[in-house]
Formats: sequence, C-alpha cells, structure tokens
Amino acid sequence: MKTNISEKSQVSPVMTLFLIHAMQVGVGILGFERYISAIAGHDAWMAVITTGISTHIVLWIMYRLLEKSSGGDLIALQQELFGKYIGWGLNFLVLIYFLSFVLTILRTYIEVIQVWIFPEFSVWALGFIILLLAHSFVIGGFRTVTGICFLSFIYGAPLFIVKYFPLQYANFSNLMPIMEQSPLAILKATKVMTLSFLGFGLFMLYYPFIKRPKQSKKWAHFGLLTTTYTYLVTALVSYVYFSQGQLKHTIWSTLSLWKIVSFPVFERFEYVGITIWLFVVLPNICLGIWAVTRGAKLLFSVRQKIIIPTVLIILFISNGLFQNRIQVDTLNSLISTVGFYFLYVYIPFIFIYQCVLLKVRKPS
Amino acid sequence: MFWRNRQKKIPTKQERAATIKDLFHDLEVSNDFTTFEHKKETMSCWISFFKTLVDVEYVHRDVLPFIYEGKIQNLKDIKANLPVEDIILTRDAHTVQEKVMQGYIVVQMKKYDSECLVFSAIAIQGRQIDKPEIETSIIGPKEAFVESIDANLNLVRKRVPIPKFHVKEIQIGKISKTRVNMLYIEGIANKENVNTVLQRLNEIEYDHMIDAAVLSQMMGDNQHSPFPQFIDTERPDRVAGTLYEGKIVILVDGSPHALTCPTTIVEFFSAFDDYFLVWHFASAFRLLRLFAVAFSVLSSPMYVAVLTYHYQLIPKDLLQTLISSRSMIPFPPFLEALILELLIELLREAGARLPTKIGQTIGIVGGIVIGTASVQAGLTSNVLLIMVAAAALASFTTPNYLMGTTIRLIRFPFLIAAQLWGIIGIALCFGFFVAHLLKLTSLGRPYIEPIYPLRMTDLKDAFIRLPYGKQSTRPMFLRPQDPGRFNYDRAREKNDIDE
Repeated sequence: MKTNISEKSQVSPVMTLFLIHAMQVGVGILGFERYISAIAGHDAWMAVITTGISTHIVLWIMYRLLEKSSGGDLIALQQELFGKYIGWGLNFLVLIYFLSFVLTILRTYIEVIQVWIFPEFSVWALGFIILLLAHSFVIGGFRTVTGICFLSFIYGAPLFIVKYFPLQYANFSNLMPIMEQSPLAILKATKVMTLSFLGFGLFMLYYPFIKRPKQSKKWAHFGLLTTTYTYLVTALVSYVYFSQGQLKHTIWSTLSLWKIVSFPVFERFEYVGITIWLFVVLPNICLGIWAVTRGAKLLFSVRQKIIIPTVLIILFISNGLFQNRIQVDTLNSLISTVGFYFLYVYIPFIFIYQCVLLKVRKPS
Repeated sequence: MFWRNRQKKIPTKQERAATIKDLFHDLEVSNDFTTFEHKKETMSCWISFFKTLVDVEYVHRDVLPFIYEGKIQNLKDIKANLPVEDIILTRDAHTVQEKVMQGYIVVQMKKYDSECLVFSAIAIQGRQIDKPEIETSIIGPKEAFVESIDANLNLVRKRVPIPKFHVKEIQIGKISKTRVNMLYIEGIANKENVNTVLQRLNEIEYDHMIDAAVLSQMMGDNQHSPFPQFIDTERPDRVAGTLYEGKIVILVDGSPHALTCPTTIVEFFSAFDDYFLVWHFASAFRLLRLFAVAFSVLSSPMYVAVLTYHYQLIPKDLLQTLISSRSMIPFPPFLEALILELLIELLREAGARLPTKIGQTIGIVGGIVIGTASVQAGLTSNVLLIMVAAAALASFTTPNYLMGTTIRLIRFPFLIAAQLWGIIGIALCFGFFVAHLLKLTSLGRPYIEPIYPLRMTDLKDAFIRLPYGKQSTRPMFLRPQDPGRFNYDRAREKNDIDE
C-alpha cells in the first residue's frame, strides 16, 4: 500500500502552517459570529479559544495515528485498521465527505458573490470558471496547491489590517460583563464554532507529502494557533462594533464591517474584499479537490489526471443544482455536522481502536 | 517542438562533400572563391580560399612570402616554416570543408589533391565594441556585446580572470554549425544546472541558430509560456556578475546578447543599475518598477470593471469628475479602453519598425494629435487617456525587453475578463496567471522563487536590494557549490562607540 512520494512533490515542513491555516479560513469566517452569539451572547468569543484548544488535541491525535501507521495517510490507515473491504467503504465515505466539503465552500462563495456583487450571475457560469481555475492549480500537483495556500496567506493579510477601520467606532463595553454566560453555554457555542475549524481534517491525506514530518508538528500547531488568532480577532472586532441585537440580523458580519472602510480613491471596500477573498477560498477548493483525487487515486488505482476532470464535472453539476439560499444553508449545516462527528468522534475513536489493536497484536 | 522528434524521422540530405574533389567543385561555383596555382622551379602548389572570409592583407604580408621561399619542397616543409599556430595537415574532406568555410586557407600540391594543408587566416569583421543601447545606464561600465563570440568572450574573461572560469563549446544547427558557448565558474555553479544546460543544448536539433533569443525559446522549460525563462543581456558586466553568483551564461556566435540562467521572475525587474546605486535608492527604484508593472497591467481593466459594473466603488467627489469626462462618450468603457490600448500598441509597433528619425515624428503625431484629438472629438474620456498613457509609460520601466512585451500584452486578457465579470473577472484572470507562474520553472528551478518556495535569505536581493554588507551568501535558488561570498560573522564584529 505504501506509495513512495518523490522529494520533488514534497513540501518543506514550514508550509504545514499555511496548509492548515489556509484550509481553515474560508467562507465560514465571513459570518460565524451570529451563530455563536446566538448561544453564548457577548461571551461567545471565549468559545473561539476553547475551540482552538480542542483542535490542538485533535491534531495531536492525528499525528499519533499517522506516525503509527505504515502507509502514512488516512486511506492506508483505514485499510490497515478495518481490513480491505470495510476500510475501502470507509475511505469512500470519507472522500464523499471531503468532496461535499469542497462543494459547500464553492457554493457558499458563489452565494456571497450573488448576494453582494452580481445578483443576476448564473451559478453555472461562476462555478464553471472557478472550477476551471482550480483545475489549473490542481493539475500542477501538490506543490502548486501548497503554493496557492501560501499565497492566499499573503493576499489575505491586508484584509486583516482593514479591521482597523471598525475599531475606530468600537464600543468596548459591549464585551462586559465578562463570564456572564454559563460554561455550558460556552461549550455549546464551542460545538457550533468547531464547524469553522473543520478544514484541517484534510491534513490526514497530505501528511506524506510533508518533508521531515517530525519537524512539521511545530508548524502545524502554529497553523492552528494562527487560525484561532484570526477568528478571535475577527469575533472581537465584530462584538465591539455591533451590539448583540444588530448581530442577530447580520448574516455576513465581516462583509458588513468592510462597508465602512473608505479610502480617498475608493469606497465600498466589500467589493474589493470579496474579490481578494477569491484567493482565500481558492486554496480550500484546490486542496480539497487535490486531496479527494489523491484519495481516489489510491482507492481505485486510477491515474490522478483522469480523476481530476471527473471530480470537477461532479462538482460542477452538483454546484449548479443548489439554486437558493435555503438549500445552501442546509448543505452548510449538514456538512458541518458530519465534519464535527468526523473530527471529534470518529478520529478519537480510531485512535483508541488503533491503540487497542496495537496492544493486542504486539504479544503475538 | 524543437526537441528530438521521435515519431517521424525525415531523412536529411548529406550536407557534406564526400571527397575533396566534390568539395572543390561545389566551392568553385561561388565567385568569391579564389584558387590559383603557384609555380616555382622546385615545386608548384595550389592555394585556395574565400577572399571574403580571409584577411587578404595578412595573407600577402605574412603567409605567401614563406611559401614562396626557395627551400620549400612539400606540404610538410610549409607546415614547419609557416609562423601560424593553427595549422592542420589532413586528408579528411569534412575537416577541410568546415575550415575553409570559417576562413582558412587550403594549400595542395596538385589541383584536387586529397592531401591538404589548412591554416587560419580569418578576417575579423564586425562592429566595434559599443555602448549598450538597450540596457543603458548612467553610471557603471559602458561596454556591450557585439556579434563576434570571441570578442564577447574576451569582454567576459577580462572580468573573470580565474582558471576556474570554464567555457564549453557546442555546435548547434545541423547545417549552420553555429558556435554556442556555455560559461560557468567551476566550484560556484551548481553541477546539476551545468549538466541540465549541457543536455538541453545537446538535445536541440534544428538546422540553424541565428540568435540567443531563438536559442532561449528552444531550450526554455515551457515553450508555450508568455514569460521569458532566461534573461538576455547585452552587458558583459552583468554577465560577469551573474557568473560570480553561480549562474550559467550562454553565448551564441552572431548574437550580441548573452543568456543567463536559471532566473526568477523578480530578476527581470531588477536593472543592473541597481547595483551601482546606494541600496536605499536601488530598493526604491525596484519597488517603483514593481508598482509600475501592477499599475500597467491593472489600470485599464480596473477602469472598465468599475465603470461597467461597480461604480459604487468610486467616492462621490471622484465620481463627478469621472462622469463629466465620460458623459458624451458614445462607447461603453470596454470599447473605449480597447481602442485606446490598441492605439498605444500601434504607436509602439510603428515606432519600433521605423528608423529612429521618423520614429520621433510618429511619437509626436501619435501622442499629441491622436490623444488630444480623440478626446476633443468625444471618442474617449480624458481620465482613460491619462490612465492608458501612464500605463504604457509604466510598462516601459521594465528593464528586460522580453518581459516588457509580456507585461504590455497580458493586460488584454485582463481587459476582456473585466468586461465579462467585472472585478471578480480580474481576480480570476489573475488567478490563472498565478497558477501558471507557480508551475513555471527555469532550468527546473521554481520561477517565482523567493516568494514561493519562500526563501527568506533570497529576499535580500529581490524586491529590495540590501547593502553589500548583508549580501554574504549567493542566491540560494541556484544551489551554488560554494554558497558564501564572505564571512558574515567576521564582518559583523564591530567596535563599540569610542573604542
């Protein structure tokens, strides 16, 4: 099962930071505040921190799982643990999940474009052109995909500086009193919050493509830390700018915050912001497609060059089938729930299973 | 494809004469081929050469007197007596053909005798070493390459006076047999790179080789890429500088340009002037050039996108100016921009094709008359005219001509994308270029190197140029065998105040 990956397609351990960070920051960050504050009110930002901590634990488990497996990725691991047939079935389900994850991101971004820039824009046309763009990245292999992950970090960084503008009108008393909510409410908000952090599950598929995996541990955790920091700042800025009542009616709070940014030569920053956001969403789509096709390559023993167009066509058709906001929302919450159980229930489960299995097998 | 074509094998004609007799029959057809018999009491011999390739004065002054001397009996005597270092006694028709075409003189005892003595009397004709015309600089050396490869090599060798500086000669072109030299410094240049260049040069199969620009297209990593993958330069000082960095330089006979490889995209935007200025100014000018590139590519597409779809982006006060300038224009912004961009391209092309003196007239006619007249006629708006002109100006700041052409032309896909999908279209188009650049390599090394893969140490000479005190290592992407220029730690030992 072990496939040798040439050094030419591997990336340096530092890139793990960008791979993990880029995959976690997607469309979710544009409007997650509303969902968590609905549960935990103005204390919801604490849920961001607790979620951040929980992701570190899951990542630690992932590293343990992959280090002990011989194949080096999730596909090999599941076949090793559950045998040929069950393992194959589970792998297939995981790939379906990742594929729908990509679909969610793609469709939600198109939704954003439709709501904010081009209301009349056809879903089919936008989906086609974005997938075509994704194709040109994925065809370049893992290094190119990592490249766009890294570049998205650079392109996205200026958007972070723009947060300064709403801070001019900040009302810090919005955050007071601290710890008003019960810990239970914060834990519940944590569960909702995890949905935004899901992307790093793909890590289990590209793990063998990282040079010197031991060194990458540090960077992977830094990646998670960067994500937590990004979400925390975003949440705090929204909470000090919007009151709880306003937040209830703001679907895309980050986009609404961009509206007040103004420069002497241009206004209405959200147009520019959404445009730059393409490069924040693109790594999600590219890395997702890459991971799915890589998994399918191992699973079906077909060349990746044949699978990529197939997967893109599937994505293109299914993307076009979602025609309104409600469907997109349903898709989002469905994938989120599945993702939550995948990361926080299934991964710990196979970890324990692997521990037991190794203990049992050892004496023989 | 210029690489070895394995599918179909076209039989090539025998370009070489089999025997000396055949060869001479071929040569005698040309009027500038001179062959005459020299008769003496003791012996007679036939002397033949191309009078257009041979330094006739040299032949009369330094060669013929030795042959006419009394004691000479046969070719061996001539060989012993002639004060020429490059002298061959051969029976091989191929060698004779090759040499006589280069400007050698053939001496035979009898007409069409198979034993020939060939010796060099090459006339070096070509232009004098002149000032650089494309990569001009205010300060720094003022020499540029010429068409003769030996003169060019001389210019480089003067600047790299070490035995480790190696020159490998390869002949390219099945018919032309053009001399191509590969230059590198042993011990600095990466061996893998040297082998790659050598392999690619050897693999080129084509009938002739006219210029370095042709060679660079044939041996590039991606022949379909709009981006040049090798830097061509006419400055020997720049060539010497890149050799010391650990790069490989290719010279082609007959071409006043040298190719340096491997390269990264940022190097195309660094003029060699940057190394002569204090680092603050050098860095400022480099950043200015990079800004110019972004402006040149994006300004008119942004104009089209904003005015077609997103007028909300413009602040109220600015919108007034824009609208008043556009109010009487009958065309949509896209057509307006396209017309102006095409006009500018027309002007540039006309300027490039015409002789310099007429070119200036064209500049005045085109710039002033077409510009102001089209605005007054109400065909384009003032604002767009300013933007397009500034963008054209900005595109000419790129020091490398080939890259400048790329920058000028890639704005057209952006323009179309802007018309189709507005600002999102520009981002999508940009995305396609990013994807292409991420995949592109130069000699197998990543093309956008200091950015991705991220190499902090190479950023010292990319967007900005740090002072020479900080340039202690050679560029990492070249993987030089000897990465250090000087010992940084020792250079850093400084005295405290008042010591």
